[in-house]
Amino acid sequence: MALQEPVLTKRIPTPPFGDFSQRKLNSYEDFVATGGYVALKKAIDMQPSEIIDIMKASELRGRGGAGFPAGVKWSFLPPQDGKPRYLAVNSDESEPGTFKDRMLLDFDPHILLEGIAICMRACQLDTTYIYIRGEYHHQAKVLNAAIDEAYANNIFGPNSIMGKINDREPRCFVHRGAGAYICGEETALLNSLEGKRGWPRIKPPFPAVAGAFGRPTIINNVETLAMCGPIIDKGVDWFKSMGVARPQGAPAHVPASYGPKLIGVSGHVNRPGVYEENLGITVREMIEKYCGGMRNGKKFKSAVPGGIAMGVLGTDQIDAPLDFDIGKKFGCLGLGTAGVIVMDEDTDMVAVARNIVRFFSHESCGQCTPCREGSNWVYKTLCRIEEGNGTTADLDLLLEVSGSQGAMPGTTICGLADGTNWAIKTILNKFWDDFESRVSVSTVAGYSLPVLA
Amino acid sequence: MAWITKNSGTMAIETREEPYLDDELKAEIEANIIPRYPDRRAATLPTLHAVQHKVGWLPTQALKEIADFLGSAPSEVMDTATFYEEYWLKPKGKYVIWLCQSISCELMGRDTIMSKIKAKLNIEPGETTEDGKFTLMNVECLGSCGTAPCGLVNEKLHENMTVDNIDQILDSLE
Repeated sequence: MALQEPVLTKRIPTPPFGDFSQRKLNSYEDFVATGGYVALKKAIDMQPSEIIDIMKASELRGRGGAGFPAGVKWSFLPPQDGKPRYLAVNSDESEPGTFKDRMLLDFDPHILLEGIAICMRACQLDTTYIYIRGEYHHQAKVLNAAIDEAYANNIFGPNSIMGKINDREPRCFVHRGAGAYICGEETALLNSLEGKRGWPRIKPPFPAVAGAFGRPTIINNVETLAMCGPIIDKGVDWFKSMGVARPQGAPAHVPASYGPKLIGVSGHVNRPGVYEENLGITVREMIEKYCGGMRNGKKFKSAVPGGIAMGVLGTDQIDAPLDFDIGKKFGCLGLGTAGVIVMDEDTDMVAVARNIVRFFSHESCGQCTPCREGSNWVYKTLCRIEEGNGTTADLDLLLEVSGSQGAMPGTTICGLADGTNWAIKTILNKFWDDFESRVSVSTVAGYSLPVLA
Repeated sequence: MAWITKNSGTMAIETREEPYLDDELKAEIEANIIPRYPDRRAATLPTLHAVQHKVGWLPTQALKEIADFLGSAPSEVMDTATFYEEYWLKPKGKYVIWLCQSISCELMGRDTIMSKIKAKLNIEPGETTEDGKFTLMNVECLGSCGTAPCGLVNEKLHENMTVDNIDQILDSLE
């Protein structure tokens, strides 16, 4: 069932409920006039544990890529011990194909601030750092202005309507990154927040126990927090009436995909953009209903379901529903951030693979050798194939590297190497012919490597 | 590439009398940035941003001054500054053109735009024009995939770039 009324895009005109050209920045007054901060007032009347129970019951899954249930994450915090506790908001949106949080920050920053305030109250966190990527210059300014408005209207600060949290005044700051994709990994984000290089940390300890500055820290994506207000305001049943329910009779640990989701569509479509739809909408519906069909009337070839680390969908998988189960059913890593990149029939999948691996090779933080070296060699191999100098042995090697746990995947601290290999593996498996037609048959004698740059 | 480090240990550091991190900037950071964090080192990124905003890039002397100011070792500040792509450890042009090269932009034809810019400015990515006006960079995803191809000129984002409007964009820069 399609989304009945806009939730996160309530104040951001989006087809079919509005027009892109009508979008404008919503100030504090605009936000309050359209029902903003009502949920925060409701949350203030509740016990913190009640808020966490509501979030748990809603089964809201993290919108930042991993899909971990937000309420469960919130309940991991140890009891208060009188020292500071932090909220780090992940706004380091850097994965190619993902541009949904930008829209919220551009036009409706207070929906995020309300979610932040609710999370601070629920988890008793006294200080929030919004880690925004360095390239979002405009968004950082908008966010800073919105935070000033929130302080002036006592959402945060010494006279906050939330009173003291964890015996301290609730505070909220923007922390700008400086151009490093890896800082979107939660523990790398914490290191970057502490003024260090953005190297992911080994877990455990998990951030909920020892995060920023060694203190308990909750890290949530912008969209996840933005969804908290509507859930507190309208309730769990309302939220669960949208999206995809757990299959009948399935046990509780089987993931369900409730609620609406921001879906950013880019690539070869007529009207790319960020749209809001219930989880479970198919790629075909997104393209046809929202994006005005394929560009130039071309045929669909492939799509990335949610950020390039998730891999790709095959030509025959256009009817794949975008929900948290997409990975298992359609042979990719998962839903990710629902940043859909659509590719038409003229797309060269070898070039796509080369571009994707170049991204990961460039953005590898360099901490773990398999990722740092491996991604670079895979990139060089793909360049060689693209240039027409590849052999069938290269393809076998790529499949072997990307498909075996313990080669590159599974040997690194964070998931970047896994993402790289999911991308290679799915493109190779689903578009084998594209690759095979580009390589020559390798013979032992004829197997030579061109000099690599 | 964030992990490539430079062998600057044996090089003499150029210094100047006047500090890059002057008293005014120090006072501003002390008042507005430092109180946000439980320790001073956490202010490294904002301080690097502030100095770079004022100076245009980050000379080694400035890194040392930041280290003294924040109570870190110079090597720690260097470590952080070299990791992030946005920090400039050598002078850059007045306008830095960051053209996105990630998948959505490549699908939408960023290569033709890059060729056009290269021909117009007569430089390769990573280089600065002789008059010091433009520096051209390839950059990974700018988070504006719906309006690809896109690029940043300093802090301003240009969306839906075409080979036609790139002339306009470049010509409008003084």
